[in-house]
Amino acid sequence: MMPFLSKIPDDFFQQLLAGMVVNFEIAAIALVLGLALGGLLALARLGGGVPGAVATPVIGLMRAAPTFVVMFFLLNIIPRDATLFGVGVAPSGIMTVALSLVPYSASYVADNGAEALQQFRRGSPLGALLFLPNITRAFFVLVMSSSAGAAIGVTEGIAVILREAALLHGLADKLVLFAIGILLFGVTLQVGFAIIRLLQRHLGRIATRDGKGGT
Amino acid sequence: MPVWRSSLLVLFAFLAGAVAVLPAVARADTPDAALTKLIEDARAEASVSGACLKPDLDRLVRVFCENRLRPGVREYYPLFGTRDGETRSGYDVDVGRELAKHLGVEPVFTRVNAASRVPLLAGDRIDVILATMGHNTQRDGQVRFIRPHYYQSESTIVGPRALAVKGWPDIAGRTICVNIGNGSNAQIVSHNARLMLFDEAGVLPDRLRDETCFLAAQDDSFFDYYFTDPGFAARYDKKFGFAQVPWGMAVARIPATDRLARAFELMSQIFHRDGVFIDIARKNRVGTGFLERQQAVWSRPECNADTGAANPACVLPALKADLEPTPFAGRVVAFEKWFRANTGFDLSLPMFKTMPAWSLFKAGVVNSLILVAGALVATVIFALVLGAVQSTRWRLLRWPGRAVTIVLQSSPVVLTLVIAAAVAHAIFPYSSSVALGAAIVALGLMNGSNAGQAIAEAMHTLRTERGSASIRTRTLFGRAVGRSATQIVSFLINAAKGTPIASFIGAPELLSALTDITAFASGRASTYSLLLVFYVVVVMIVVWLCGKLRILLERRHEAP
Repeated sequence: MMPFLSKIPDDFFQQLLAGMVVNFEIAAIALVLGLALGGLLALARLGGGVPGAVATPVIGLMRAAPTFVVMFFLLNIIPRDATLFGVGVAPSGIMTVALSLVPYSASYVADNGAEALQQFRRGSPLGALLFLPNITRAFFVLVMSSSAGAAIGVTEGIAVILREAALLHGLADKLVLFAIGILLFGVTLQVGFAIIRLLQRHLGRIATRDGKGGT
Repeated sequence: MPVWRSSLLVLFAFLAGAVAVLPAVARADTPDAALTKLIEDARAEASVSGACLKPDLDRLVRVFCENRLRPGVREYYPLFGTRDGETRSGYDVDVGRELAKHLGVEPVFTRVNAASRVPLLAGDRIDVILATMGHNTQRDGQVRFIRPHYYQSESTIVGPRALAVKGWPDIAGRTICVNIGNGSNAQIVSHNARLMLFDEAGVLPDRLRDETCFLAAQDDSFFDYYFTDPGFAARYDKKFGFAQVPWGMAVARIPATDRLARAFELMSQIFHRDGVFIDIARKNRVGTGFLERQQAVWSRPECNADTGAANPACVLPALKADLEPTPFAGRVVAFEKWFRANTGFDLSLPMFKTMPAWSLFKAGVVNSLILVAGALVATVIFALVLGAVQSTRWRLLRWPGRAVTIVLQSSPVVLTLVIAAAVAHAIFPYSSSVALGAAIVALGLMNGSNAGQAIAEAMHTLRTERGSASIRTRTLFGRAVGRSATQIVSFLINAAKGTPIASFIGAPELLSALTDITAFASGRASTYSLLLVFYVVVVMIVVWLCGKLRILLERRHEAP
């Protein structure tokens, strides 16, 4: 391990962690936008009528849109000097990746949000509360998917790893470097899933307590 | 008067007349005299009342009518065209000023970049392109290049000194940052490199510095400025050069520009011969090797004539970069025009207009479909294998199976693809097929591990439900697959949706192909819209097929 460490820069781990913060930043933006858009679509779908008829195929299309293609579509369709009322609106690299994840997050929120609302209306608040762990799960999926930003030059965690890997010569050294990346992302993911499990257990306890209180 | 004296007088008069006439004849052959006459005639036409209001006005006459010349120059190309507030500087800018000065009019500059310079000229927003534009045969059909050429450069690849890149074989599979419209992009693509596209060349050094790009390709003249910075020179070096190309000023390819083009040709000859270009180059710290060689050429008697610009012995040929048109290119162009006329929207379909683009497009579609089909099959195979391994009662098999699943779940999709590609390239020499295969395996492993986990969990629930009841493991596994049908289908759809990311490791699918096409053709907006439609339709078909599969699996699960 020591010979390997001598081959990577001293500030590599610092850069990697900074890059992972970018992954979280992208996921957070995508989730917030997805909650706003997906929430509206869920309400429209449940409301029926014309909005519902429009929302259903829109959600279907968003579900089918590949994130990576949406990212390149946004990158190439919006001019770098685009303005709205004199204000520059061309998204940064981070924002482009976040926006490309919005179709996924919005359709996910719309599906789960509609389900949660139906559960709530049927008198099952616990079923409705499952929306929270589902959203947490989506957040970690978004964190992992945000690595696509490496393809358009966003300096997120995977981009930092790939940059160093390009300077290493042997496959063995590269695999060690990749393993470090998997370990760091894996720990983050597993901690995230542990939080989801804790949240589910907590909600379960609330439901059990409420159930006992009610009988 | 004696006869001999009158004879002497006649002879003297003849000689005097000959001496007086000879320089005039010689002057008429020089580019200087031809230019003077051209300018005087055009000025005279412009001064005629109402002449400037004529439709289809000659462009040289219009320059004098408006008392301005409108060169299109770059604003973000150090040493050649930069802008600091209202101050423009650079070799191209100063050449534009010198042209306007020779015509006796004011230069009015307009910003252009590699992608916009030809459309702006075609739209009559500028009179002449003076924007680092390489003269190749492909562009000959779009604009009228001025000869002699006013500069020459070659493309060069720049990257960190520590990176061992010496030639084309080292480029395969790597990402190279380029600006859209650069003449050498097609050549880079042909060596299996991936492109990261930028609108302006000026951002490339910054993207190298912030490590967004690892390698960048641009004209050597462009990078020369950055290599004057010791910090930049210490970190990066030129890896190798290719595609030597002369730069040309260019005017619109219409009859009304005949005399304007002629004026520029004559001025370019004079500027070479008299060292005007060399002086401008020195002022802007631009290399003068090419210009010095050209000065020698244009000082030669056969070149220093008003016909010099048409003499093949004096002018340089354009770089051969003709893209063969498709047999249906004419119909595609007609359709684009019809669409524009009827909708008001510009639709550009470069993938149908030239043979290289058409070949890339067809291969991209076929490879994308292979990739989707391969990813689906690989997902099913890995799901069944990892599901079976994780369902076994033997711990020595079950635990490694679980470990593999956790590792695959913990690895971001891009990293898994890169690992698969690195391992594949360590075993096989680089090729598009290897990249495609590596992507199929990576996508299959990522999605198959999750689906396999679902099968194992379903198997566990079935065993718990059945307690000690005797049932064949194979039958039970079949039912577990049926029970986890929803999860399997979900990951199959995920695999199909994930296929475009294979372009990251150089798999030549449609996203990769269209990125390559847009690097040397226009029409990014319609190209990427088409790409999005293609993949959405493919994924929707997969969703529909997977729906059928789920029904089939669930029926099997319900069967006694």
